[in-house]
Amino acid sequence: MNNSTPLGTFFRTAIAVICALTILFPVIWMVSMMFKPADVMFARPTQFFFSPTLANFDYVIAQGFLSNLVTSLLLGVISTAMVVVIGTPAAYAFARFEMKKKDDLFLFILASRMAPPVCLVIPFYLIYAKIGLLDTFVGLSLAYMTFNLSFYVWVLRSFCRDLPVELEEAAILEGWSKPQVFWRVVFPLLRNGIVATSVLCFIFAWNEFLFAFMLGGSSVQTLPVAIPKLITAQGVRWGEVAVVGVVSLAPVLAVVVLLQRHIVRGLTMGAVKG
Amino acid sequence: MTLTITGDVAARPKRASWYPYLLIAPTMITLCVVSLVPFIYAVYLSFHSAKYGRVTDFIWFDNYKALISNPDFWNSMYVAGIFVAIAVPIEFMLGMAGALVLSKGVKGRSILVPLLFIPTMMAPIVVGLLWKIMLAGSWGVLSYNVIERFNIVSGTSIFASEQYALYALIFIDIWQWTPFMMLAFFAGLQALPQGPYRAAAVDGAGAFQIFFRLTMPLMAPLLFVIGLLRFIDAFKVFDTIFILTRGGPGTATESPSLLAYKMTFDFWNIGEASALAVFVWLIFFIACNVFYQIAKKKLNAF
Repeated sequence: MNNSTPLGTFFRTAIAVICALTILFPVIWMVSMMFKPADVMFARPTQFFFSPTLANFDYVIAQGFLSNLVTSLLLGVISTAMVVVIGTPAAYAFARFEMKKKDDLFLFILASRMAPPVCLVIPFYLIYAKIGLLDTFVGLSLAYMTFNLSFYVWVLRSFCRDLPVELEEAAILEGWSKPQVFWRVVFPLLRNGIVATSVLCFIFAWNEFLFAFMLGGSSVQTLPVAIPKLITAQGVRWGEVAVVGVVSLAPVLAVVVLLQRHIVRGLTMGAVKG
Repeated sequence: MTLTITGDVAARPKRASWYPYLLIAPTMITLCVVSLVPFIYAVYLSFHSAKYGRVTDFIWFDNYKALISNPDFWNSMYVAGIFVAIAVPIEFMLGMAGALVLSKGVKGRSILVPLLFIPTMMAPIVVGLLWKIMLAGSWGVLSYNVIERFNIVSGTSIFASEQYALYALIFIDIWQWTPFMMLAFFAGLQALPQGPYRAAAVDGAGAFQIFFRLTMPLMAPLLFVIGLLRFIDAFKVFDTIFILTRGGPGTATESPSLLAYKMTFDFWNIGEASALAVFVWLIFFIACNVFYQIAKKKLNAF
């Protein structure tokens, strides 16, 4: 595959750039919607040029979306932290040790990741209604474990397997205890993998809608769930919808720039080591 | 992507000990609580008459019988089937074409690649809003400039059209997942062994021959695994449909997830909804098993 000419590269680059712009056009359009006054927004034919306004932001802030933003951030951080604490040792164990029925245990983890959320939300709702966990951070964090904990263990395991085992063997020969080996050898080496995987977990929690919608409520209301507030009796406040949409896109943008190498691995459950 | 096997067999203590079980215990206990218990509860509910939040009699398979004779159930399977059958092959072909272009050499790849991840990593609910804006009746930039101009749907939004709403959702899925497929296939292409390609070049094989007789067979397990993940995802899709059409107009876009949601929270027919959930779960469990076996044996990924 090394027969590429400068002209060929130029054409391929041109095609790729045009495709990328086409793909991203809706996102760019939504960003421009944030600054549009209402009359321009509904103009027929479409007006591509307009004088920008910040009025849409004022309404979003007045509607209390900042508290939804804080809730989303808090919930993302709490649920991800729980996943990291519980899941890291398991990922290491699955990568390094022989266990009876290991395949079955591992398949159980995969199956909990794959389960359709709507199937889970029915029993969750009924159980939570009985034990009073509806509309609490604990309840939602637990619910997020169904997809994030299994995801985390599954993907982090593939990072563990990339680590050289010699260091751990050397440490054991030095007479270190097993917890020492884990904390002082494995953990520092695994730090990048932990960061990459847990940031993806945070994004999944940040993006989540169904659980937050059904199991949340007025005191724990995340950003995606608050969006219907903008669909009023007078119609949909599109400019404000665009603002909330772009705000919820911000951490995702940060992640795709910083973690691009790990996203493919994450989303294929470790099957592709991008 | 590395195709070498390290780990497991070569790994530490020869004798089995309690230590690994201690390490996995918190995860296993948590997962039992958050996913096994709800599953068992759903199975329990599916064998009971449970309407309007009150669980009453044990009724064997009556919920399943009701489900099978419910036309909405078959409609939802049909919707999911059409969705997968159209969206996934198109995503595959476009993704593969894009991956081949990328791997042939493109300038500025380091800028392009992160941009291509945006649609896939966006919240599905925001994807829905985005396309609601693009395709809003009469003033949406695409509905005014494309759909109305070519008279595909006139008067209302495309999502209110019984005929086209599902295709609009499929289009959105393709928009969301094709860039990801491209990058996943690109990663796969990068990891292919170079030896066979040199041999093929020496033998004077053409580009088509190389692609169909060499690249495709080498990529086959990876394509299968990614296809399976997309199959599972397409059955799971909820947020986008919920915000755009709520399964309507009528039942034109009512996927199994939407149907289960409506049965539970609109009609409070929890028994039958649970039967549907258990049914979908079983399909998923089989799909997972296949995914695991293929990924483990053919890709040496786990």
